[in-house]
Amino acid sequence: MSAAGDGAILAAATAIVLWRRRRTRARSPKPARRMGRGSAHPRPEIFEIAMREINERVRGKIFQVGTAVILVAVALAIVVPKIGGASSTAVQTVGIVGPAPASLKVAVEIATAASHDRARTVAEPSLSLAKQDLRAGKIDMAVANGQILVKTAIGAKASSVDPTFARALAAYLGEAAAGRNLGLSPAQITRMSLAGAVPIRAVEQSPPSTTTATTTIGIVLIFYFLSQYCTWILMGVMQEKSSRVVEVLLATVRPIQLLGGKILGIGLVALGQATLIVLFALGVERATGSSLLSGTQPAFLVAALLWLVLGYAFYCWLFAAAGSTASRQDQVQTLVLPLSIPMVIGYIFSVTVAVSGHASLLFKIIAYIPFTAPFSMPVLVSLGQAAWWQLLISAAISLATTAFTAFAAASIYRRAVLKTGERVRLRQLVGEGGRA
Amino acid sequence: MIRTLEVDGLRRNYGERAALDGLSFQVKPGTVTGFLGPNGAGKTTTMRAIFGLTDLDGGTISWGGLPVGRAERRRFGYMPEERGLYPGMRVDEQVQYLGRLHGLSAASAAAAAQRWLERLEIGSSSGAKVETLSHGNQQRVQLAAALVHGPELLVLDEPLSGLDPLGIETIGSVLTDRARDGCGVLFSSHQLDQVEELCDEVVIIDHGRLVAAGSVDGLESAGQRRLAVRIDGVRSAEWAAGIAGVTVSETARGVSRLVLADSVDSDEVLRAAIQAGTVTHFSYERRKLSEVFREALA
Repeated sequence: MSAAGDGAILAAATAIVLWRRRRTRARSPKPARRMGRGSAHPRPEIFEIAMREINERVRGKIFQVGTAVILVAVALAIVVPKIGGASSTAVQTVGIVGPAPASLKVAVEIATAASHDRARTVAEPSLSLAKQDLRAGKIDMAVANGQILVKTAIGAKASSVDPTFARALAAYLGEAAAGRNLGLSPAQITRMSLAGAVPIRAVEQSPPSTTTATTTIGIVLIFYFLSQYCTWILMGVMQEKSSRVVEVLLATVRPIQLLGGKILGIGLVALGQATLIVLFALGVERATGSSLLSGTQPAFLVAALLWLVLGYAFYCWLFAAAGSTASRQDQVQTLVLPLSIPMVIGYIFSVTVAVSGHASLLFKIIAYIPFTAPFSMPVLVSLGQAAWWQLLISAAISLATTAFTAFAAASIYRRAVLKTGERVRLRQLVGEGGRA
Repeated sequence: MIRTLEVDGLRRNYGERAALDGLSFQVKPGTVTGFLGPNGAGKTTTMRAIFGLTDLDGGTISWGGLPVGRAERRRFGYMPEERGLYPGMRVDEQVQYLGRLHGLSAASAAAAAQRWLERLEIGSSSGAKVETLSHGNQQRVQLAAALVHGPELLVLDEPLSGLDPLGIETIGSVLTDRARDGCGVLFSSHQLDQVEELCDEVVIIDHGRLVAAGSVDGLESAGQRRLAVRIDGVRSAEWAAGIAGVTVSETARGVSRLVLADSVDSDEVLRAAIQAGTVTHFSYERRKLSEVFREALA
C-alpha cells in the first residue's frame, strides 16, 4: 500500500494542518485596517468549500462516534482471537500410572511441541486412583498399560483435553510401542518420531492470495465507506437546497465548484478515516503480536484503497445529482434506495466469493462494471485471479464512466438545485430545456 | 471605482408566462434604490438574474459598462428572499466562510465578520448556531453575510420583512451608511413607508415591465396636484365627490387626499369644504410613495 497509503496519509495530514491553521487564525483575528477585501492570500473557493465540509464533518458527533466504534471493532477483531488463542495454550496434566520411562517424557515433550501447550506429569500410584483423579478433574489424561485414558470423549464440550496434544501423545506412544516390538532402541524410536513430514512443493508458482478474513473486512469497509459517505453527499446537497443557502453560495461560486468542493471535502474525510483505520489496525496487530493480518498482500491493500477512491469518485456524482432533486428529508430514502441496490449486489456477491474462494465467470465480468467493480475487483486481486493489466482496464472503464457521470450529474445539479417545492423529476429538467 | 448597475431589456419566460418583459433600470452608486412591485411582478427573478441564478431569454446586465460575470458578482452582496444559511453552523464561522468565498483572507474575514456582527447588534450571538437564533436575528446574520466582504453593490430581497421596529432601524441605518460610503443598494420591499424613508430612488415594476423610476423626491413631486383637507367631525370625503375633476386618493384619520385635474380651481374645492363643515387643514401636498405606487400600477 506504500504509494497509495503515503498519498492518503499526506493528504490527510495536509488537510489537518491547514484546518488547524485556519482555526488558530479564526480564534485570534487581527483587526482589519478597513472594511473590505483582504489582500493576504485568499484561497481558491473549492478549497474553502472542501475545508468547510471537512471541518463540519470531523466535528460532527456522527463522525466521531462512528470512527470510535469502528476503531474499537477493529481492535476487538484483532485482539479477541489473540486472547482466545492464548487461553487455548492450556496446561495439560498427564497422570502416569506405574514407572515413567524416559521415552514417555520424550512423548510428552513432542506432544507439547505439536500442540503449543504446556504440560506437566504426575505419578499415579494405581489405575483406580488415576481414574479417580480424572473424574475429579485433577488430571486431564492418564497413561496406563499402553493406553491414554480421558474423562470424556475428546472434542466433547466438557473435555479439558486439547485434542492436538492428546493425538500427538497417542501417535508417539503407538510409534514407540511399534518400535519396541521391532527391536529399536529408545534413541532410534525418538529419532524416528522427530523425523517430521516430507515437504509438499508445487511445480508452478501460484500468485499470492490474501486471507479470507482480511478480504472480507476490506470489502465490508469499502461498502461502509461508499454507502456512508455518498449518503452524506446526498444529504449535504439536499440540506443546502432545502435551507436555501445554495442560492447565497451560487451567487458567488460556480455550481461545479460548490459540488466539487463538497465531494472533495467529504472524500478526504473518508480517505482520512480509511487511512486511520488501516494504520490503527496495523498498529494494534504489531502491539499485540497478532497474526490476523499477516496473510494480507500489499496488492490487495493497494487494490482496496484504489477502488475505494474510484468507487467514491463514481458513486458520489450519482448521489449528488439525486440530492439536488430533493427538497425534504422524507424524499431521501426514495432516492437512496435505487442507487444502493447495485452497491448491495456487488457487496454481497463479493463477500460470498471472498469466503468461498471461487470466482465465477459472472463475478469476473462484474469486476469491469463501474457499479460493482469497487467490490469485485479487490476480491479478484486477493484471490490472485486478476493480473495487473486487468486491474488497469477495469480502472480505466471506471474512470471513463465517472467522467461521463460527473458531466451529467453536474448538469442535473445545476438545473435542479435552485428549483424549490416538490421533488424535481428528470423530465422536468429536460422539459425546461435545462434552464436554471 | 464608482460603477452603475445597468439592467437592460431583461426577458425571462416560464412557459407561456413572461416573468420579465423587457425590463430596464439602473442602480447608481451611493444611492439606496427601492425595488417595488406587486407580488409576481418579477422582482425576485430580476435579482436572481443579476447573480446568474436564473437563465435569461434576453437582455443584458452590466456594471460600469461591462457585462456582469463571476468576477463582478464577487464584489456584490446578496440577500435572497428565502433566507439561506447553514442552520447547524456557528454564526461567526458562517459569516467568515462567506467572506472567504468572496476572496477575503482568513484573518480579514474573521475581523470583518466580528465587526459586522457587532454593528448589527448580534455580536453576543456569534458563537451560537444559526438555528438557535430568532427570525429577526437570523435576518441580521444574513445581512452580515452579504456585507462581510465589503461589496460595492448590495442586492437585498425583502431585507426588512418580519423585523421589529428596532431591527428595521438597525438594518435601515446600515443600508444608508453603506450608500454614503459609495455602495449601490437595491432592495425590494412591500413596506412603502420604510422605502420612502430609506430610499433615494425607486424602481416600480409590474408584469415584468418598468412602470415608474426616478428619485423619490421627483416621483412624489410629479403628477397631478393634490390637496390634503381635514374638516372637523367629517370622516369621509363625500363632500368632494361631486366636484368635477376631483378624485379622492385616500381618506385616513380624518384627512382626505384629493387629486385635482388641471382644470380644477382649488378655491372651488375650498368652498365645498367650508360648506361641509369647519375646515381645520387645507394644503397642497406631494404624493406619498404609496400613491406613486398605486398610480403607477393603475
